[in-house]
Amino acid sequence: MTTHIDSPILSLRNVGLCYKRKRSLFGEPFWALKDVSLDLHHGETLGIIGRNGAGKSTLLQIIAGIIKPDTGKLINYHSYHASLLALQLGFVHYLTGRENAILSAMFMGLRKHEALEKLDEIIAFSELGDFIDQPIITYSSGMVARLGFSVVFQVDPDIFLIDEILGVGDAEFLYKSTVAMQEKILSNKTVVFVSHQAQLIQTLCNRVIWIENGVTQAEGDTQEILEQYEHHLKIHHQ
Amino acid sequence: MKQENTWQMIARYTELVFYKTYADLRAESARTYLGILWWIFEPTMYMAIFYVVFGVAMQQGTPNFVQFLLIGLTAWQWMKSSVSHGSESILMYRPLMQQAHLPKVLFPSILILTDTTKFLFILIILLAYLWITGFPVTQSYLVLPLVLGVEFLFILALTYFFAAIVPFLPDLRFVIENVFQAVFFGSGIFFSVVSIPEQYHFYFYLNPMATLIEDLRNVLMYNTMPDFQALAIIGFGSLIGIIGSILLISRFEYTYPKITV
Repeated sequence: MTTHIDSPILSLRNVGLCYKRKRSLFGEPFWALKDVSLDLHHGETLGIIGRNGAGKSTLLQIIAGIIKPDTGKLINYHSYHASLLALQLGFVHYLTGRENAILSAMFMGLRKHEALEKLDEIIAFSELGDFIDQPIITYSSGMVARLGFSVVFQVDPDIFLIDEILGVGDAEFLYKSTVAMQEKILSNKTVVFVSHQAQLIQTLCNRVIWIENGVTQAEGDTQEILEQYEHHLKIHHQ
Repeated sequence: MKQENTWQMIARYTELVFYKTYADLRAESARTYLGILWWIFEPTMYMAIFYVVFGVAMQQGTPNFVQFLLIGLTAWQWMKSSVSHGSESILMYRPLMQQAHLPKVLFPSILILTDTTKFLFILIILLAYLWITGFPVTQSYLVLPLVLGVEFLFILALTYFFAAIVPFLPDLRFVIENVFQAVFFGSGIFFSVVSIPEQYHFYFYLNPMATLIEDLRNVLMYNTMPDFQALAIIGFGSLIGIIGSILLISRFEYTYPKITV
């Protein structure tokens, strides 16, 4: 895995994506993305900012390989594994925490033995102790959230795709998980972070892309793009 | 994470299908007080109803009608439950497939495997019942895996096909249920082919389930060889159906997550 620091590991070129608006034979098309281009470099944290409905989440689904663009293209130069931070993926109420952790990790792309190897760390991070062998239907919602986060945090894909959520759980775990996730983002991990909160983007991202109505408005230095974005919001509010 | 080749990927997904099947079966049994016993009680009660209606109330001429009926019902239920669960599977797993990329063919496979496991439990009960009531293991049992294997291929073909198209036409589910009901009565579950007029035999055997059920009875009750030619045709046709349906599912691999309900 030697990557040239300047060359991108993943690119989008003029990507457009179209949904059918409602279920019928002739659903009217709706372009969630029209023209988005970006380059993602090894080890960087790329922020994506834009208002609700700008197409940010759809963009992450394309990078994760869940859906394919209808126009333009996605280039994954080294077929890296890009994964959405999907909490509680595939959780089943009547299974134990341990079984759910294995299942969820496997849904995120791990082999069973890899999931088993990570299990001790998952259990330790979740602080669930003996509860790990109880069905999660007996858990509080905070406990389920802790388990869900711990699994995702340990699975650790090549490229982490994060949609707004950094941490979860009750106050104490929320702090712990947010700090852990921020440390991971600020490390040499390749991350795409979607948010409409300028403050978080400012703290976490090396570079920013601003999307409006499915079109890339601007791309570049965090500070510069955020200023443009906020200026744009002000004009719209007046 | 390291790069993986095609075989490693297939191994990973196979492992996932098996673990998810295990998990679903475990979850299902954990949900009730009697747990796993329901896999036996439920079909037993279901069969008891048919036994009372057709074996006691409407006395048929067929000798050993109970055994005759139970074999037919067991083979039918395996197919019916797999196909109706499997055809909804891609819709059912929509929330999951919108968060992680997974080959969509995994979802019907999980449901087929779940229903097949339950079928194997029922099959054991059925065989025990046959042995107790005077139908012992004979040399025909050697071809039992073949007959069951061909039915399994047929189930795979049918389930994958419906799984591929139902997400686009959810209304089809109701049609499928009703067609099943009609075919159920035409599969020779309550009657033997000898009881219908000769000129309709051709149409009767157009339904693969009719052949499969008859072959199963030949093996389990009459110590007779199945119709190998018919089995070969069904098996080969099913293989083509499986390949075609998997291609159809992969054709829409990236369309399924975009379907809005």
